[in-house]
Amino acid sequence: MKITVCIGSSCHIKGSRQVVEQLQSLIAEHGLKEEIDLAGTFCMGKCQSGVNVTVDGECFSVTPESTHTFFSETVLPRLK
Amino acid sequence: MMTNKLCADIGCLSINHAGEQLCGDHYEVVETEDGKSTVLVLADGLGSGVKANILSTLTATILSTMLSANTRLEDAVETLAATLPVCSERGVAYSTFTIIKVTNNSRAEIIQYDNPRVVLLRNGENLELAFTETVISNKRILKAETEIFENDVFLAFSDGVEHAGVGVSYNFGWERDNIIDFISPFLDAGFTAKTLSTLLIDKTNELYGGNPGDDATVCTLRIRKREPVNLIIGPPANRDDLNRMMALFFSKEGKHIVCGGTTSSLAAKYLHKELVPSLDFFDPEIPPTASIEGVDLVTEGVVTINRVLSYARDCLADNKNFDRWGSKHDGASLIARALFEDATDINFFVGKAVNPAHQNTDLPINFTIKMQLVRELAACLEKMGKKIKVSYF
Repeated sequence: MKITVCIGSSCHIKGSRQVVEQLQSLIAEHGLKEEIDLAGTFCMGKCQSGVNVTVDGECFSVTPESTHTFFSETVLPRLK
Repeated sequence: MMTNKLCADIGCLSINHAGEQLCGDHYEVVETEDGKSTVLVLADGLGSGVKANILSTLTATILSTMLSANTRLEDAVETLAATLPVCSERGVAYSTFTIIKVTNNSRAEIIQYDNPRVVLLRNGENLELAFTETVISNKRILKAETEIFENDVFLAFSDGVEHAGVGVSYNFGWERDNIIDFISPFLDAGFTAKTLSTLLIDKTNELYGGNPGDDATVCTLRIRKREPVNLIIGPPANRDDLNRMMALFFSKEGKHIVCGGTTSSLAAKYLHKELVPSLDFFDPEIPPTASIEGVDLVTEGVVTINRVLSYARDCLADNKNFDRWGSKHDGASLIARALFEDATDINFFVGKAVNPAHQNTDLPINFTIKMQLVRELAACLEKMGKKIKVSYF
């Protein structure tokens, strides 16, 4: 599975670093480093809904506060 | 005018006599009207505080203005002697000065009146300049001339530097030889003139125990190769100009820096290479960099440039943030080093496209701000003595 997080200007200001860091530690906690490829991407042109995160190409809007929920409700079910 | 590939990098820094708000030393850097020479003047006014400040400012300004118009030295010194106000307490009008004039990037002329002799370090070795003496308006003036070579470092300083640590760390102050020994190990590191001056002034201040007993100034003039750096930020206002903009940018000699997410994607597409973003936050506030084969540096746009601008302002002032941008690996530090240290000639390629996604947000990254940042950064770099060209698309 490939997850990309937008690190463009707008998403950066909205907290993409916190999202990246939380995802990195969640992936490590769940022992999913082999399964999930986490990467950055520049502006996706949807700054209004940032922080923009894609999971295998599908776009989601995530905030630093919602990262845990996003991981357990969106990322984990898709791995099964 | 460029007759060879060399240029002069000049950086100066002063500290004030403890308790004084004004510095009694003053320096000016000007280019002659014909563009062939650069003139650096350092003046040290009698006493300290307001009086010394007025004397040294007048001296440095008169000398630099007259010499930049290619006035004869004799006339400039006579004008100076006739103009300086006479000190009521001491009955003299007095300010020492050091002039370094670099012509055609091939010869340097050093003219001094009563300041510590200029140090010339060539290939890291101290080379004593052969001074001759002339008397103008009852002043004994020392003159020397030399051919210049890449990596030559000229150090001009006021006597406040040599007097640092008198009776505390050194019996007779920080003498010429101590100063040369101190700075020699730093010469090979490629530091800018401003950084070398900062190292010397920090040490001077330390030797004074943080309470300088005199105004102290170091002016460093470093002969270096011209180094062009090109920076592109923002897509062009008109899509049809994209290929022209990219072609002009990538055809330029020197380093290439691409700033901005959209701009990076377009550059990658133009080069038919992959854009690979990293996820390393070397600085929590600066977005990670990316890489494109054939591009020296790829960064985010506005947030990064904003930080570069704050480093540039600091660098022009007291250079206190050098330890932040001097060695770190975040995008802003990398750009700062490329522009402040490596570059002598900087070409900005600024695209005026408005990013629709940015305009309706409350975030401080809209179009007006981007243009403002580039303008201010270009102005700062110009003050650092860089040749700047900004092209809009």
